[in-house]
Amino acid sequence: MDAYVWGVGTSEFGKQPHRSASELLWTAVAEALRDAEIDRPDAVFVGTCFGEPGIAQRALHRMGITGLPISVLENACASSTQAFHEACVAVSSGRFDTVLVVGVEHLTSRFSGAIPVEQTDTEGRTGLGLPALYAMAAARYQDVYGVSAEDLAAVSVKNHAHGVHNSRAQHRTAVTLEEVLGSRMIADPLTLLQCCAIADGAGAAVIGATRRSQRDVAVLSSAFNTGELWDHRSANVWGYDLVARTAGQAYAAAGCSITDIDVLEMHDAFTIGEIVTTEALGMAPTGEGAALASSGHTSLGGKQPVNPSGGLLSRGHPLGATGTAQLAELVWQLRGDAGARQVPDARLALLETMGGGAAGIDGNACVVAVLGM
Amino acid sequence: MNARTCQIPDPRPQLAEGSQSTIAGWQCASCRHPLALPAPWCPLCHGPLETTTWGPGGTTWAATVLRVPLPGRTPPMMLAYIDLDEGPRVLGHLTSETNERPECGTRVRLIGVTAAGDLLFAPNQDDS
Repeated sequence: MDAYVWGVGTSEFGKQPHRSASELLWTAVAEALRDAEIDRPDAVFVGTCFGEPGIAQRALHRMGITGLPISVLENACASSTQAFHEACVAVSSGRFDTVLVVGVEHLTSRFSGAIPVEQTDTEGRTGLGLPALYAMAAARYQDVYGVSAEDLAAVSVKNHAHGVHNSRAQHRTAVTLEEVLGSRMIADPLTLLQCCAIADGAGAAVIGATRRSQRDVAVLSSAFNTGELWDHRSANVWGYDLVARTAGQAYAAAGCSITDIDVLEMHDAFTIGEIVTTEALGMAPTGEGAALASSGHTSLGGKQPVNPSGGLLSRGHPLGATGTAQLAELVWQLRGDAGARQVPDARLALLETMGGGAAGIDGNACVVAVLGM
Repeated sequence: MNARTCQIPDPRPQLAEGSQSTIAGWQCASCRHPLALPAPWCPLCHGPLETTTWGPGGTTWAATVLRVPLPGRTPPMMLAYIDLDEGPRVLGHLTSETNERPECGTRVRLIGVTAAGDLLFAPNQDDS
């Protein structure tokens, strides 16, 4: 794949009702364009989940980014990761020389509280939101694999510890195992501090077809899939098989394996999500991923740090913007610009985002990309 | 139930006519794949679908207790994925006297629907 990340940028993340979606987008895009040292891309690919119609053009025209192709993509939490994937494909195939990728979400202006469950969906209409769906997976892991409440909570402790060093994160306070387990129960066995918070935010990246300098990060591969049927034949929890299948394609295209990866950003919307994803990526056998956090393997200072940004659990989860936030973190890591949360000598990075919500399938979308210097 | 809900066709599995313990379903005439929701053809082999019923017995694949409110619903709510015997996996609510989630593999039986129209299962004391 001939695609390179020339520049990245993000807003701060968190509940920001006093700032518009456009203002968040301007912050992220301006930083990415400055970083890439370009004034204008050839096209814009935007990912947003709950963004209102026209959200991209409404913001971009006031930056003078007009009169070019702007495409808006929705794939739940993976919306802007898919936008990134499509941008990489577009420049690699020669369709465009440069593409600006944008992820944007302003949830506080869309909902007065938690994100409502989708009433057109079988699961949503039955009262199953994503916290309860992930709780089902956690319960299954407890009963089948013996994962303990402490194992689950260790992921939250780790990612909150990472987020302390991220000035753009929503939650920058370390938490203890006791605090995680003692926080309010949301859906058994997941407590409040094991669930990501909704957030407003934006991220951006400039993707180019050539490498211009040592700061440009190579996209070694990017794979994108939609879930297969998830039904009575499915032995694994929701999402596992989709991530595993997509990761396999990404490894094959990049010519690497999971053991080659130095740092990862992945979809930890809930603690069990990170555990399942690490297994699906091949970091541990099925049912044994919980040990990765408690052993320190996935902590900063460990062999393969996962979510050095603090992840969704600490940075917050502005759904459609999350993919670009993950991408920005990995670019900073590979350039050595990540400050106090820098993974030493990071040369190869993996980006994974999972988007879900439609009943009956193993996930709406998953993107796995391998990045390198 | 809010106004938006009232305008949306019900996407949930429905009880078989005149029954409180079986679901109106479909099965592929070619590959026997079971379905609890309508489809234009079998999603596995594109074979034709025949109507049938599923239930009442099933096994809990996973369960949780939702302890925060949703619009129009009062917590706690016990939700479970149930693998119906020889049939599809469905999402339903569980009756409980303790609000402790049942372990995976617990036998249950369909007993009807909740006031909100959700499939409702109860522990099957005679079939564990």
